[in-house]
Amino acid sequence: MPVIALLILAITLSADPGLQRPRDAAVPDLPQLNTGSFLPAIRQQIDEAYAAARANPKDAEATGKLGMVLDAYEQYESAARCYRRAHVLDPDSFRWLYYLGRLQAILGQHQEAVLTLREAVRQKPDEVPARLTLADSLLAIAKWEDARDIYRTISNAHAESAEAQYGLGRVYALRGDLTAAATAYLRACELFPSYGAAHYALAVLYRKLGRQAESQQQFSLYEQNKEAVPPLNDPLRSDVLNLNLGSVGHMRRAETLEQAGRFAEAVAEQNEALRVDPSAVQAHIKLIALYGRLGQYDQAAEHYRAALDLDPNQADAHYNYGVLLVTQNKLQDAERAFQQALRINPYYAEAHNNLGSVYEQQGRLDEALQQFAEAIQNQPNYHLAHFHMGRILANQGKYDEAIHHLLKTLLPEDDNTPVYLYALAGTYARAGDLRTALKHARTAREQAARRGQTQLLKSIDRDLEALEKAVGDIKKQ
Amino acid sequence: MTSRVVCLALCVLPAAFIASSTPAPMFREIAADVGLNFHHFTGATGEYLMPEIMGSGAALLDYDNDGDLDVYVVQGTALEEGKTLLFPPPAGSKPGNRLFRNMLTETGKLQFVDVTDSAHVGHVGYGMGVATGDYDNDGFIDLYVTNFGHNVLYHNNGDGTFTDVTRDAGVDDPRWSTSAAFLDYDNDGYLDLFVANYVDFTVQGNKRCHAPTGERDYCTPVAYKAVPSRLFHNLGNGKFLDVTGESGIASAYGPALGVLCADFNGDGRTDIYVANDTAANRLWLNQGNGTFREAGLEAGLAYSADGLPKAGMGVTAEEVDKQGTLSVVVTNLTREGATLFRGNGKGLFEDVTVQSGLLGPTFAFTGFGTQWLDYDNDGRLDLFIANGAVSIVESMRGGAYPYGQRNLLFHNEGADRKFLETGGTAGPAFQRLDVGRGVAVGDVDNDGAVDILVTNNNGPVRLLHNETARTQHWVEVRLEGVKSNRSGIGARVAILRDGEEPLWRRVHTDSSYLSASDIRVHFGLGKNADLRGIVVRWPDGSEERWDNVQPDKVVVLRQGSGKVRP
Repeated sequence: MPVIALLILAITLSADPGLQRPRDAAVPDLPQLNTGSFLPAIRQQIDEAYAAARANPKDAEATGKLGMVLDAYEQYESAARCYRRAHVLDPDSFRWLYYLGRLQAILGQHQEAVLTLREAVRQKPDEVPARLTLADSLLAIAKWEDARDIYRTISNAHAESAEAQYGLGRVYALRGDLTAAATAYLRACELFPSYGAAHYALAVLYRKLGRQAESQQQFSLYEQNKEAVPPLNDPLRSDVLNLNLGSVGHMRRAETLEQAGRFAEAVAEQNEALRVDPSAVQAHIKLIALYGRLGQYDQAAEHYRAALDLDPNQADAHYNYGVLLVTQNKLQDAERAFQQALRINPYYAEAHNNLGSVYEQQGRLDEALQQFAEAIQNQPNYHLAHFHMGRILANQGKYDEAIHHLLKTLLPEDDNTPVYLYALAGTYARAGDLRTALKHARTAREQAARRGQTQLLKSIDRDLEALEKAVGDIKKQ
Repeated sequence: MTSRVVCLALCVLPAAFIASSTPAPMFREIAADVGLNFHHFTGATGEYLMPEIMGSGAALLDYDNDGDLDVYVVQGTALEEGKTLLFPPPAGSKPGNRLFRNMLTETGKLQFVDVTDSAHVGHVGYGMGVATGDYDNDGFIDLYVTNFGHNVLYHNNGDGTFTDVTRDAGVDDPRWSTSAAFLDYDNDGYLDLFVANYVDFTVQGNKRCHAPTGERDYCTPVAYKAVPSRLFHNLGNGKFLDVTGESGIASAYGPALGVLCADFNGDGRTDIYVANDTAANRLWLNQGNGTFREAGLEAGLAYSADGLPKAGMGVTAEEVDKQGTLSVVVTNLTREGATLFRGNGKGLFEDVTVQSGLLGPTFAFTGFGTQWLDYDNDGRLDLFIANGAVSIVESMRGGAYPYGQRNLLFHNEGADRKFLETGGTAGPAFQRLDVGRGVAVGDVDNDGAVDILVTNNNGPVRLLHNETARTQHWVEVRLEGVKSNRSGIGARVAILRDGEEPLWRRVHTDSSYLSASDIRVHFGLGKNADLRGIVVRWPDGSEERWDNVQPDKVVVLRQGSGKVRP
């Protein structure tokens, strides 16, 4: 038994990597890499970094740089190995510890991440990103108090840190202190009003506390900002991200820029993606739409042809080109493009809808209705398709059917809701139900006003006046 | 110095001591040993067509009513003609889904025989999932098979054969269907059908997606658009009516992969929970008038604690903690972790993944099929998750099929509602790297211990035979509805014991991923064989009780044969 006790004690002592001094540790080998199937430009970048690391086996910088390149392309296990090696070669460098700890957290190795990041923050206590990552890992392994202490320290020194407040909120919520959690989440939202996760957490908390109205309000704010997080203020992390020369990275950045309305910059990123990988057909497809938005139709058409050269069966390419042609009023060509999209993907609701619009503009109403019906069949909550159907049916005097479709445009609300409500009001009016028409017209006006849609407001006001008079006349009778 | 002490101490220990301390495996993989010879075929040709990475499911069902569980496994096929297959099927293997009959009752030995051809259930298509339920209440369980393409409803003829009645029944859907579930949402005694649909992928319109390294890889569902799921109302005459539109379930949808049907808000009506891939999960609350209201966000089941949509592949729900409180697990991608939602009995759920101990162990895995099961019969529900990647596993790059991961088994520790990952001691079967997808659980050899059937993408089906020590008691309950649907789906069963609260379980075949489990309800009783009685709350709301139920056997409870509880 004493032998077993000694054995258990010995194993326990040796199992704690925190007690191993890096200077005593053996230098881990460089990872074995298999880059044969990587994009040539990426393969070259990695191979060059690898060659430099191999040529300078005792140079932590060379090994660390290899780790950063691998990290940039999400080869986390290999990158972690490099960072570990770089740390052993240069134990006093905060950078390798931070990068390693970060990857350990990403890989779900939170116990290891905690040990690594603790050592990192010992070296540089003021590094906020490292401390935040440490706190998050402590939270993941249920070390609530330790996590709380770190979040608190960060927020005391950096009152502007929304992430620290959010972290504190999570700790308090997990410990059942809902009031403190709510305070922290609220503060996080004040510091970064678009903080989706904080709004969500607050919404859930309020619901738990029975504060339904506030909960609804927070859910609504969350829906507007779902995936928004405080901007990255981590220069070390940026150094890694900037090493990503791959087309995927460029296309991701382009997506973000496009969503922010920065179309010219998005175009630049997509073109860069193509420079790195000329076969990136998705980049060509995106450029059709982007150039279209910028009014540069010739360039858009060029990318359409390039996309087809790579793969004629990309429904989105035909669709985007069709949209472009509609804006140029080239309806027959647009018809062909949408039909081509549908031959490839018969479930493409937007293509059905747009083809329906083209048919409608050409006066082919029955065919238009068929296409809108197909759009709805494939996407039952497709407001625009219901709206188009409703309009055409109303014009054909089929008011009940029209109203059935127009009612389906109302929820969930979006920026087109005032238009839909206005159309619904008009249809009820034509059907002779003036009271209901008036009700919807008033709601349309209210919503248009809330959204600052002044042109629409003018139209509604004109009709509203007539409706109110007509309803007033009915009441007098 | 320290490492030298360890080394010396280790050298001193006799080898016999080390050998005897190795525990016997809790599960042993026996599929090939018992004749379950099935290898999934993806049809992959190097074009990275999305269905190729999704895998397929399986069902455990007693199709011939001989008292033992048979196996139905779903198969893929080539999606493109004339192209070279990367992984051709093994020589001699037959195309299409397979039905394996369990010979346990006839021979006393666990052995499976392929009876697909004689049973006429070998549909050849790009198979995805299977749901089971006796939709016409004739006492024989039927099959609904989902495909990338047209689905199939197989009516069990009761004589060992099935008939494809899809067209007559009106339950086809040509879109990409995934999981499906039978449920009686209107309590008319006939099982209705919910079919989950995924995205608008077409072979011709296959998109080229890439990993961050620039390599070709499978697209994620964000590259495509979700298509709505379907709800079919059983008219009671062998036919169904598509009520998708009027029921309201098409008003919000995502790329649906997992589905289960249960009463989520305690109002006595069956609701539908859908796990959506990279989109909000949906909770359809049954309004009792043929319509459903979407309440995922308000119930706390749409997203995990950070408010972000996760992959959402497999799903399972059971009353793990106490009566009326569902615990719902949704499996997700690597670096997301599975999510455990715990209900409060009033329709509100909270993400308790971190507190439960599930986040860390699941973080490095892409989870698919999952089920609650009491694998050690201690009376507490444990959790099994089948894992397998959908993008190249870095450490396996260069290998023939670099997506393998090991499965996870969590033991319910009871205290503090925590779970402990025990795969390390569960046996070699839990160290194997497979590309796990479907999971069905059931007692295949009627020994009282729940076994696990796992399908693997591009790999063999695995049968994990439960070999935990038989020191604890159990009881398994099979229901026969009379006013309620014959299978008893949607009922709840409770065991009554002295000094304890009733322990409730759901009657279902749904949950997991693309798969269907044993309809029988299993209870572990622990060391105490005491069993005062069993209560059944039927889907129509009536309750009956049976006393003098003996433990350690399968009991069949027919509606109307028990004491009615007011």
